Amino acid sequence: MLIIGENINASTRAVAEAITTRNQEFVTELAQAEVAAGADFIDVNVGAGSSSSQDEARAMKWLVAVVQQATDKPLVIDSDCPEVIRAALNKYQGKRLIINSVTAEPQRLEAVAPLAAEWGSGLVALAMGTGGIPNSVEQRLDACEWIMTQLTRLGIKPEQIYFDPLVLPVAVDSKQALVTLRTIEQIKSRYPGAKTVIGLSNISYGLPKRKLINRTFLVMAAYAGLDAVIINPLDAKAMSLIKAADMLIGKGSRGYTRAYRAGAIVD
Amino acid sequence: MSQDTIARLKENVIQGRKTKDDEGVDDSLSGTPGVLELTRLALEEKVSPDIIVNHGLTAGMQVVGDKFATKEYFIPDMLASAEAVGEATAILKPYLEASNSEIKGKFTIATVKGDIHDIGKNIVATLLRGAGYEVVDLGINVPTEKIVQMVRENKPDFLGLSALLTTTMLAMGEVVRELEASGLRDKVKVLIGGAAVSDEYAQEIGADAYCVDGFHAIKMVDTFQQRKL
Repeated sequence: MLIIGENINASTRAVAEAITTRNQEFVTELAQAEVAAGADFIDVNVGAGSSSSQDEARAMKWLVAVVQQATDKPLVIDSDCPEVIRAALNKYQGKRLIINSVTAEPQRLEAVAPLAAEWGSGLVALAMGTGGIPNSVEQRLDACEWIMTQLTRLGIKPEQIYFDPLVLPVAVDSKQALVTLRTIEQIKSRYPGAKTVIGLSNISYGLPKRKLINRTFLVMAAYAGLDAVIINPLDAKAMSLIKAADMLIGKGSRGYTRAYRAGAIVD
Repeated sequence: MSQDTIARLKENVIQGRKTKDDEGVDDSLSGTPGVLELTRLALEEKVSPDIIVNHGLTAGMQVVGDKFATKEYFIPDMLASAEAVGEATAILKPYLEASNSEIKGKFTIATVKGDIHDIGKNIVATLLRGAGYEVVDLGINVPTEKIVQMVRENKPDFLGLSALLTTTMLAMGEVVRELEASGLRDKVKVLIGGAAVSDEYAQEIGADAYCVDGFHAIKMVDTFQQRKL
């Protein structure tokens, strides 16, 4: 499974402060820790709303430069604002990256998807439209179908697309974990070339011992066909479970033994 | 007998057991009647709907609120209780109306323009229904004009506005200003909630209250209701 490190995100107070004060050392350490823990991609997010989009674009340019200086790993440019994404791309060194994200909202898709087409980059597509996150598998698949049609029209290949089936708290609606898992299965069977990605933490909102729930869900999602996960790679137990799960679903055993020899497997 | 029914009703609210088939918080009441069965039983026993609500349903929900505050209960526990009470209130509604009892106020709730987050709003709506309020949920990304129109036409006692983002919370201020411009501001209490907002923000935009969570919202609207009486 592809590991996208989630830690450089301004929704965490310390990170927001480091970005505001342009604390290069803090960000560098965070990025290097994620890479050392096994992240394949580093997600970068400067947050939204606290300032103007120009400020956000400036913050994003700074963040991209600092993280790229800290590591050779490719980045996931995470913003719902097209100008911020464009600013990040202008600063970006190299060709391999993922843009996060578009939805089935026409305006946002038309602004962001052409950038992914131009760069040949990966593109996260959320299974939702203007009406928020749909409750059912069918409605989420409808959003995916619409997105697929639009992205194909814009010249984006299925291999570039990471569908995010979205995750709602199971505490609020007990069927929601299954909705996400079944949406993953359906996306994988309908669009064999396309990939799937989720962020985990929403699933456990409002419940005690959240990490346990996140990790359990992660293993189930692996079986459902999940290709990539946005996660805190410093969670060694979750990372170990990914290695074990990858082995158990037939992706080969060497990744597990290799990780074990590297001291990265905990039980 | 009827006193026993009300005590059992309260206990079942605390347990979050809607019907006899529900598990509850622990299995001490397994197989016994739940909130809906006991509400019907109390009506058969001619208990006044007021007593059923105040000594059974509301008294139980108060305990649930305390247990949620101390983290003994979590969201699923709280929602199970609130849903049971919400359905019981629906059973009681015609009786409450027939007996001229004081029906608690009308509450309109919405996630404001530009914001599509509804989890918190839905929890608050469920809890308020559980507390006996008549709740109209306008949904997410609701335009300011539509909210103002609802206030004008449906005359709710309370308007709850939700926003998760610092960008979208600005629409709350817009709603308050538009209510003022339409001469409706003094007709409705405006309560705001959501991750982005605070007491200070409520004061800044001239809302009547900021609510940390659903139980806090119940406390606030109850207080406003009492002042009215």
